[in-house]
This record gives sequence, structure tokens and C-alpha cells, in this order.
Amino acid sequence: MTTTATTTTGPGSATALAIEVRGLRRRYGKGSSAYHAVRGVDLDVRAGAVTALLGTNGAGKTSTLEVIEGLASPSEGTVRVLGLDPVADRDAVRARMGVLLQRSGFPGDLTVREVLAMWHGTLRAPLPVDEVLDLVSLGERADVRVVSLSGGEQRRLDLGCTVMGDPEVVVLDEPTTGLDVERRRDVWDLVLRLRDRGRAVLFSTHHLEEVEELADHVAVMHDGQIARRGTLADIVEGHPSTIRFVTPLDATGSPVALPPLAGDVSSRGPHTTVRTHDVQAALHRLLVWADEHSVRLAELRAETASLESVFLEIAGRPTGATTTTTTSTSSNATEENR
Amino acid sequence: MSTLAPPVRRTLALTKANARLLVRNRTTFLYALVMPLVPMVVVFASGSASDAAGANAVTSVLLMAVLFPVYYNVLSQVVTRRDELVLKRLRTGEVTDREIALSIALPGVAIALAVTVVTVPVSLAAGLPLPENPAVYLLGAVAASVVFAALAFWTAAWTRNAEAGQMTSVPVIVLAVAGTLIAAVPERVARVLEATPGGAMYELVRTGWYGAGGLGDAVEPLLVLAAWGAVAVALARRSMRWEPRV
Repeated sequence: MTTTATTTTGPGSATALAIEVRGLRRRYGKGSSAYHAVRGVDLDVRAGAVTALLGTNGAGKTSTLEVIEGLASPSEGTVRVLGLDPVADRDAVRARMGVLLQRSGFPGDLTVREVLAMWHGTLRAPLPVDEVLDLVSLGERADVRVVSLSGGEQRRLDLGCTVMGDPEVVVLDEPTTGLDVERRRDVWDLVLRLRDRGRAVLFSTHHLEEVEELADHVAVMHDGQIARRGTLADIVEGHPSTIRFVTPLDATGSPVALPPLAGDVSSRGPHTTVRTHDVQAALHRLLVWADEHSVRLAELRAETASLESVFLEIAGRPTGATTTTTTSTSSNATEENR
Repeated sequence: MSTLAPPVRRTLALTKANARLLVRNRTTFLYALVMPLVPMVVVFASGSASDAAGANAVTSVLLMAVLFPVYYNVLSQVVTRRDELVLKRLRTGEVTDREIALSIALPGVAIALAVTVVTVPVSLAAGLPLPENPAVYLLGAVAASVVFAALAFWTAAWTRNAEAGQMTSVPVIVLAVAGTLIAAVPERVARVLEATPGGAMYELVRTGWYGAGGLGDAVEPLLVLAAWGAVAVALARRSMRWEPRV
């Protein structure tokens, strides 16, 4: 089975397909011991849009990106970047694509400026070194050797090389890994500027906040496949809201029978969770019932569907395993795992 | 904007960075510079004793020049940069694999060729004659540099890390030093050793420096080096790894 992540609306409504992936499969090893990292992925990325490839570790994001980057050949399926094969047409594609690997390095004994000067010399139409230093906020560290940079500074240097050629397509594998909050926002600004200049940006991440801030389109990847795709609204649409409270007990300590509610009702530990597509009606009925029967619904929480709840469901983790904030739609409010 | 052809421009940009790194790594740089100079002492000691002794001494200088600045330097650079994911990063850019490889080899090859040239006045001072066929001598040095650079890439392909390089380099070292034994072994064994890169270098020094056998005798050792070069390049291309083993 293959699923398609299509980008059609929002700021990235431009129609040009920058990246087109069809039926991509990637295997490591052979025979019965082969590991299938990517299992039939279709993905479209358009110019002038930011597309997020969201998934847990091991979901197959990097394996997918490496084929798009031309660093690996697909076991099956096709990949086109700007209409070209990233492996067979490597030279033509590389001149128009900027890549940030999840992990990579530069020689530790070169300074920041020397690394950028080296990279500058390899590009057809590079931005000036000083402009890139400003772009990634490394001007004051220009004469420091790479080995003395922090992890976040090395990441920014890496990013500087990625954008130095002013590429039409930018592929970023977990771009903000190792960055502090302030620098992470700098990277987000940079990504949005690239989008506003009509560049196609594809990035992988497991940070929900990053997706919510940046992505015009999202492809949620799990177990080597695209499990959901679309805009953030598309992703959340159709996903049930959640009502949660401490299961009320009668005088004997047995759970009190709840009224019929539209949705799935489940109990886990001391809590009852109602997953419903009509949160207002279910909540109203529950509150009226509680009032009529003088039942106290302790720790009552209601949460509309969020990217996090969708993501957790896809990743195979019960949404009830997180602490939630009343009617919050922000994934930031649900960080703490029990 | 540079007027150089893109492949040349890209290769030079990387070569400049690699040369800078070679100079900044003092241990590597000292080995690359000093080791080829050590056999020059032998040149002084045995220079005018006989043609064979002189050829042997000059061959030793050239061997050190292709082993340390070229072979070991390229081997350690490729293995280390591969482990540090530098090579993988470079491959995401516009440079081609060939340009990356060339840029790694060029600084060491430049040192080897400089040593080749410096050997002439040093040998003269030691009492050796001037090279009879300097072109053959230089051509031999260039060909040997290419062969040992290619052998370094091939060795790197199956060298897991920098430490393992001490062991995986042994077969190539044997191929190299075999040439210095030619004058000391029976004729039949010498014929076999002449088919090694080191043996071919010895024959080219004899022909290039002492004019032994005339220019025609340079063809066979040059063909030997060309064959080794072709095999080494083919092996390296086939087995080269740009990323660490998972």
C-alpha cells in the first residue's frame, strides 16, 4: 500500500512540483534478514511551500530523505527532484538543491570562515561568505576553528553551507537538533524566508512545535509509510476530541455507570477517557448527568484534537498517556509523559 | 567570479583546504616532510659507491616520498574524514566524487614531487651524477604518486578506522619496499620484484638517472606502474566507502 502526501493549499499553493516520490521502498540487507526502512512512500513537495516529514525515530524519515538527496538509490520506486533523477542526474540536481544531513561534519582544524570559503569555491552561484555568516549568526565566530564550536554552532555552520548556493530545493534532516530556543527560532525564520522566496523546503523532524510553526503541509511517517498527510487542518480533521476525568466511584468503591455518550469510552488506571467527534454534546450530557446525580468529575479535562494526539495515535502510543491542559490545542501544553 | 572551469575551480577550493589541514596537523606534516628526507642521508653515505647503490638510495627517497606524503596521508585522511562524516557532507554539494578524491591526494602528491626535484641537487652534492633522462625520472615519480594514491583509496575502502590502518597498510608497504631489494636478490627473484610498484620505481630510477639500458628500458617499468595504477583505481572505484560502516 502506498499513501500520497500532496500539497495543494495554503501559502504553498504554487503548483510546481519540486520533489516527486512514487512508490519508494528502501531495504537494508538481503533475503529474509532484510530490513525494510521505507515501505511504499509517495510524496509531493511544491515550490513556495514548507513540507514537514514528521515521525518518530526509526520511522524511515532519514532513509527517505537520503534517496531524495541522491545519496542512496531506491530499492524500488522513483524519485524526481525538479524533474530529474537525483542519482543519475546528480550534477544537475546538486547545483539546485541544498542539503542538511541529520549528522555530518567539517574538518575540525578549519575555521568557520575557511569552511564557508571552501564551500563557496565549490558552488556555481554562491552567496558571499560574509552574507552567509550573517544569515546563520556566526559572524562573531568566523575565525574560530570548527573543533571549538558548540554543537549548535556547528549545526548553524552546516546550515550556512546548505543555503549558500541559494538552492531552489532545500532538504533539511532535523535542522534544529542541538539548537537552543533562540537559535531554533532563527532557523525557523530562515526556513520561512526561503519559502517566501519561492523555494521548496522539505524538512524532517520529531518536534511537533516545529511542524506547527513552519509547515504548510505535513506527512506523518510511521513504520516506513506515510500514515497521514495534508495541511495541519487536514491532519487534525476527523480526529476525535478527548474528554478525560477521574472515574467516579460509588459508596462501595465500584465505578459509577456513566450515561450513554457519543464516542468511545475507555478506562485506564483511575481515569476514564471519552473520545468523541462531538465534544460539545458529549461534554454537555456528561455535565448534566453529573449535576443530576451529584457526581463530582475530578480532574475533568476536554481537549480538541491536536497534531500531538494524532501523532501519538499513529506512533502507537495512547493519547491518554499524556497530561493535557483544558481545551488546549497546543502541543506545547502536553509535553509531560506519565 | 572565477574564470576557471567548474571542475578545476571546485577541486582547487577543496585542495586548498586540504593543504591547509595538512600543514596545521603538525604530526602528519612533519612525517610527510621529514620521512622522505631521511633516506637522503643514505644518498650521502653511498652516493658515489656504485650505480646500483646510488639508484637504491634515490629509490628509497622516492619510496618514502610516495609512502608518507601520499599513501599514508591519503589513507589517514580518507578514513578519518569518512568517520567524521566530512566526506558524506561534501558529497551533498556540487563537487563530484572524483574531485573530492583528487583534492585529498593533491597536497601529498605536490610534496612528493617537490622531494623528487629536491633530490637532484642533494644527490649532486653527495657525489651522484646528474640524471641522464630527467623526464623519465620525473615521469616515474608522477606515475608512482598516482599508483600509491589510488592504493591508499583502495586500502581505505576496507580499513574500518584510523587504528586499523596500521595493519591494513602492510601489504602495500611490502609492494613498495620490494623494489629496494632488487639489487640484493638472485636474478629470478629480481624479475618478480620488478613487477611490483617499488621494483618499477627502482628500474625507472636506474634508467632515468643512470641511463641504464637506454630509454627503451623505461617502457616496461612504466607499463608496470600503469597496470598497478589501473588496477588500484578500478579497485578503489568499486570498493570506496564514503560513509562509516553501520
